[in-house]
Amino acid sequence: MGGRSAEVPRRIVTGNEAVAWGALRAGVRVVTGYPGTPSTGCVEQLLSMDLPDRHVEWSTNEKVAFEIAAGAAWAGHRALCAMKMTGLNVAYDALISIAYSGTNGGLVVYVADDPGVSAGMAEQDSRGFARMSCLPMLEPASPAEAYALVQTAFELSEAVGSPVFLRSTTAVALTHTALEIDEPRPPRAIEPILERDIARYTKAGAAICQAQHRDLLARLDRAEAWLREKRLNRVAPAPRPGGLGVLAVGAVSACLYEALEAFADEVSILKAEASVPFPAEEAKKLLEHCTTILVLEELDPYAERDLRALAQRIGWPGRIVGKQDGILARTGECSVDDIVRGLQVAVGAVPEPREAVPDREAEGGATAAPRPITVCAGCPHRGTYLAIEAAIEKAGFAKDEVMVTGDIGCTILGMNPPFDLLRNEVSMGSSVGIAQGYAHAGLKAPVIATIGDSTFFHGGIPGLVNAIQHRVPLTLVVLDNGWTAMTGMQVNPGTADAHQAGGRRVDLERVLRGLGPNRVLVVDPYDLEATTDALAESLGHPEDVNVVLAQRECAIQARRRGAVAGRVAVDPEKCVLCKRCLQITGCPALGVSTARAVDTNGELRGGIGGSPHRARIVVDPALCNGCGLCVSFCPTSALSKEVDA
Amino acid sequence: MNCDIVLVGVGGQGVLTIGDLLLRAAFQADIPASYAPTKGMAQRGGFVLAELRLGREAVGPRIPMRGADLVVGMERSETLRGLRFARAQGTVLLFDHVWEPTGVMLGADAYPVRDEVAKQIRAVAGRLILLDPADLPRVDGEQVSPNVYVLGAMLSVSPLREAVPKDAVERVLAERWPKRVAANLAALRAGLARSAGETER
Repeated sequence: MGGRSAEVPRRIVTGNEAVAWGALRAGVRVVTGYPGTPSTGCVEQLLSMDLPDRHVEWSTNEKVAFEIAAGAAWAGHRALCAMKMTGLNVAYDALISIAYSGTNGGLVVYVADDPGVSAGMAEQDSRGFARMSCLPMLEPASPAEAYALVQTAFELSEAVGSPVFLRSTTAVALTHTALEIDEPRPPRAIEPILERDIARYTKAGAAICQAQHRDLLARLDRAEAWLREKRLNRVAPAPRPGGLGVLAVGAVSACLYEALEAFADEVSILKAEASVPFPAEEAKKLLEHCTTILVLEELDPYAERDLRALAQRIGWPGRIVGKQDGILARTGECSVDDIVRGLQVAVGAVPEPREAVPDREAEGGATAAPRPITVCAGCPHRGTYLAIEAAIEKAGFAKDEVMVTGDIGCTILGMNPPFDLLRNEVSMGSSVGIAQGYAHAGLKAPVIATIGDSTFFHGGIPGLVNAIQHRVPLTLVVLDNGWTAMTGMQVNPGTADAHQAGGRRVDLERVLRGLGPNRVLVVDPYDLEATTDALAESLGHPEDVNVVLAQRECAIQARRRGAVAGRVAVDPEKCVLCKRCLQITGCPALGVSTARAVDTNGELRGGIGGSPHRARIVVDPALCNGCGLCVSFCPTSALSKEVDA
Repeated sequence: MNCDIVLVGVGGQGVLTIGDLLLRAAFQADIPASYAPTKGMAQRGGFVLAELRLGREAVGPRIPMRGADLVVGMERSETLRGLRFARAQGTVLLFDHVWEPTGVMLGADAYPVRDEVAKQIRAVAGRLILLDPADLPRVDGEQVSPNVYVLGAMLSVSPLREAVPKDAVERVLAERWPKRVAANLAALRAGLARSAGETER
């Protein structure tokens, strides 16, 4: 820990926050993004700060976010765009085109992959996108490297005139550690560049596009030379040649040194902080020094393929150990245990069977009780799901006859018990398109699509436009809670004006009506009867494009402002413990007194009354947000909703 | 002194707060630390796991299987999900709070009994410290925060005892909740005394 400067303040930051601080240090002017685990904390950090000379926003989607950043960078400023891996799929259409044009100001795309899938979605390897668009990609192995490499990325971007990727993974993005953080630098005071150069900024014709393609490849070559000069990919050769070498790309190198602690042999190491372009010169040095190479990288074997191709090209006779020979896995995070196993195989030690993770069931011991996640207490979506179920029944259908498509965000929790309603989850906005496919498939029952407000703004609107144009019969339910909630409560176009920080709310109802479906019915999902009626009316018009807009603010956000809808009380004398309330709503605020007698504060839940030991339903006041949905399912009127005057 | 800790429990129990407080205490005491919380998707009521590594500069945030010196479970059933991290010579600290999932309350799923869980812990780890929520002390008639009590209990366990100075934790606690200093210090010390007593048995 020596050599720490007394003037530079240390802070506890996550990898995401380190990217944000590094971008400030690099004098970034415009930062955009769309929330998505594990990348969210980067833009969150910047939005929590007072940055009068910069623009920071949550954009409508990643494509828009990237276009904004690119425009600012074309005008000469430094710009950063942040997203999760699946967001890159959305941004990519614009991104590959802008890659061909290059950039003026530094343009950095921060993308966070999720090997091991901590937050759902496809376990994709974003390095593939960098390779396809011929853009350099830097890969920090720790928050400290993230802080340094985002600054390097801006320098590289301007040095070669190319957008640059900074890729992190969950283990880097979400890890907290202490870092020395330098003072931010203000954005450069420049006159914005206002160029007319159709050969560079348009795709007008084959000659232009092919010239751009050649320029793109030349920029990648320049990036390789620049990275070599800056020594971002370093070979540390073992004193004696002829032994084992390790090529470690990005996040895995953080685990490598720990794995080597218990490893006796000398090892040469190429630690690659840049994965695209492949560090061929440095890799050649490693090959020439070693007889066996272990390639460590998470997800796809990109570096391994490049290394095998290089070895073949230079006639290297040794052995390469990695994923293509089945030694290491192509899924999940790469752990210390995985690396130890790879090292053992590479040096020809008898490959010890990997120590099995203890299997509780196999041992016959106790297993943890399943704990499927459900919507929070008071979540307005609970009312909407219950109303969809009731309306399906009212319209004379069985739940298993009806296709209800799901979408990204909290709304997908309708797939879980007690609702078990949604059947699929694809990508932002896909519920609307998938539903239309089912509508054309000849199902006997109506098709229902469900989507949240932010997801609808992000990617759902084109799907609805299509349904309206082609008169596709379906009912779209928009569950509007006013926030991008799943990722930790970010502002979206439909969030109330009070939270828009200088922006303004886009009226979702007017958007829906403006598109012109056959009907738009607006309901409060806490009003189960009205919501059920609106849905039943829609299902009663199976030839129409129906939209039900269920509007009620996220209960967690409402509570944070002190706006609780009420309180639910239990009359212990009336409760017969039929558990209907629990069974139907699955609300986490409901419990059974014998089972949950002691709450987290060690106190008996609920009012004790005269019979503390008789089992009955109890309501946890610390969780209940007073939606009152449970009240309507109580056959003995033991539950009642109290509203504060 | 190095110390690797895995914390498990249910969102809303203050599991992540324990990790955050220790991280900040380590920061104040100039001890290298990394803290990687992985949350469930729900705001409250989902499984939560966090990894805290103290004392080492150049390691990744993930603790190897069977590599944790200390596994802390804040909820009986979820503690089972943390046991794969426990080192054979390590300690498992179980705060035996029961938070039954809905499926259990409805009779659809089984919930493990205390003895079974304790037996399983003893099968993988050298030492079990079992804290009964019923023993939570009261300060001025109010029950103390269970997570601060558990944090106190953790501080008596080696190698955390040697890795992070107790007064750094006390300072961080006071900074976090300036209005609850007395109650939190009482909770911390009660937890510490409780688990220290366990050692002597």
